[in-house]
Amino acid sequence: MTLLTGYGFWSPLVWLAGAAGATFLALLLWSRGRRDYRRGEGELPFLSGEKAEGAHVGAGHLYWGFVEGLRPYVERLRAFHTGFLGDYVAWLVVVLALVFLIVLVGG
Amino acid sequence: MNLTVHAPILAIAVPLLGAFALPLWGKLGRSLRDLWLLLVAAATAALVALVAVQVYTTGIQVYTLGAAWPRDTLAPGGFPIRIILAVDALGAFMGLIATLVALVGFAYAARYLAEEEGKTLALTLGTLLWAGMLGMAFTGDLFNLFVFFEVTSIAACGLVGYRTWTSRGPEAAFKTMVLYTVGGLFFLLAIALLYGEYGALNLAHLARLLRGSTVDRVALALLLGGLLMKVGAVPVHMWAPDAYGEAPAHGVVLLVANTQVSLYALFRILFTLYGGLSDPGVGWLVVGMGALTLLVASLMAVVQMDLGRLVAFGAVSQIGFMLLGVGVGLTTVASRPGYGLLALRGGIFHMLNDALAIGLLFLAVGAVERAAGGRNLGSLGGLGHNLKWTSGFFFLGALALAGIPPLNGFASKLMIYQGSFLLSPILSALAILASILLLAVFVRAFQGAFLGPRLGKPDPVPVPMLIAMGALALGVLFLGLFPDLVVRHLVTPAADALWTGREVYLQAVLGR
Repeated sequence: MTLLTGYGFWSPLVWLAGAAGATFLALLLWSRGRRDYRRGEGELPFLSGEKAEGAHVGAGHLYWGFVEGLRPYVERLRAFHTGFLGDYVAWLVVVLALVFLIVLVGG
Repeated sequence: MNLTVHAPILAIAVPLLGAFALPLWGKLGRSLRDLWLLLVAAATAALVALVAVQVYTTGIQVYTLGAAWPRDTLAPGGFPIRIILAVDALGAFMGLIATLVALVGFAYAARYLAEEEGKTLALTLGTLLWAGMLGMAFTGDLFNLFVFFEVTSIAACGLVGYRTWTSRGPEAAFKTMVLYTVGGLFFLLAIALLYGEYGALNLAHLARLLRGSTVDRVALALLLGGLLMKVGAVPVHMWAPDAYGEAPAHGVVLLVANTQVSLYALFRILFTLYGGLSDPGVGWLVVGMGALTLLVASLMAVVQMDLGRLVAFGAVSQIGFMLLGVGVGLTTVASRPGYGLLALRGGIFHMLNDALAIGLLFLAVGAVERAAGGRNLGSLGGLGHNLKWTSGFFFLGALALAGIPPLNGFASKLMIYQGSFLLSPILSALAILASILLLAVFVRAFQGAFLGPRLGKPDPVPVPMLIAMGALALGVLFLGLFPDLVVRHLVTPAADALWTGREVYLQAVLGR
């Protein structure tokens, strides 16, 4: 099962053994928990002031800071994705020019 | 008839003729059409498997059309003028990927496509696309590579615009068609230049004749331009999210395989046709476009709210990983072959892993769309309560695509990380960053669509669709747990065919 790359190795078997050990440890910690706990008590999550039970955190809200942090970069990339076919073909011409430059001048 | 000898041409002819006969069977009855498709698919799969077994056990398989004996590649004048198929380990590997994906796609389509929405047409186009992919993988002739390039383009555009009752599908198909046509014309012009200079179209014969003249280099640039567009490398990738986002799910998995077969054509031209004129500049171009592709596509996936487009950008990013791996190999082919070969193997292994993981994701998205009636992440939620298997398959595919161990994407990405690190640590850092971004994107999509309270009651997913997804999921797990088996028996011979097997390929076709 071990994959030798020439500069290291990857053994899924070792990984699975590690994962089994971590799972065992987690179960051990869990078994040490309070035995008087009843399911359904105090489980309502605090969702930024949302009091309605069963509120769904949609994908648009998840990782909000992460997405907003990347947004300035992404918006610049998005500006290139105009959806206009003329722009798509123009990019193809630009790439062809670059390829010509590298193949003819570089070679 | 000795079936073994004729297997390469039959593997192309059976799906090609089968596709054109499919609508006729459809006129006679649905069950007859389905039975015909089953027969064609089974026969083609058996033939491709036969070719692969022959290639992996006895070496390159050569087939000459119109010759007294199929192995006679040379005409009486002493050079190859007939149509020749030449299947080496890489060609067989691509044939196996196309076949695996086609079989899964057809199993899924059995219940995914509605009869009143032109099911016969979609199945016909899918079979035609499969035939075109096998033709591209098996041909030993530059002009027929172009012919099959066009066959796949036409079938792919038909599949993208299959939903004619929507506006977005035909629009995406039109954009894809225009770009495929422009790319195809670049390809054809390059062939015309090479034919005008050398009077030859056979890949092996041309490879012997190429001198590195200006015309040769112009032809290389045109071939690169056309093929980089068809594989969806940034910044000529823009047709890909449109096409992947609008095609029916069973068609998208075929489109992904088609992209990979186009990558194969790119590798064949760079290593086999122009291998004798290796230029690190071209290698760096492929590396640069690979790095750009994986990073830009991952970033674009971050802000997508349409589950289909999100997975589509994920698919484009994976093309970047493959380009990076093979580009590193190309850059270092002469100077530092040790880690170039490692990256090349990683890139080729990632083709198979990507076909399984991204195929699984697209099929899961199709199941979600069918069950919940939409793909907008803003309105989806809680699907995991009712679609347990689909949720599991999506999660598995997402983890595999992000390269989380012990799933299959990790092993091939590890090889690409290591190979590219030895060329430049920045390349590895970019690749790892892209994987992290993809993990975040897919965790977000999984939470948004499948977790949380029930927001509605989705329709159940039909069992054949679950079986198709299950087959890909098993593949993801198997390749993840036994990567060495696949690398040793399938990937290494395929990489060697490109790397050191050029001379063997030329000798197999030319006999000298």
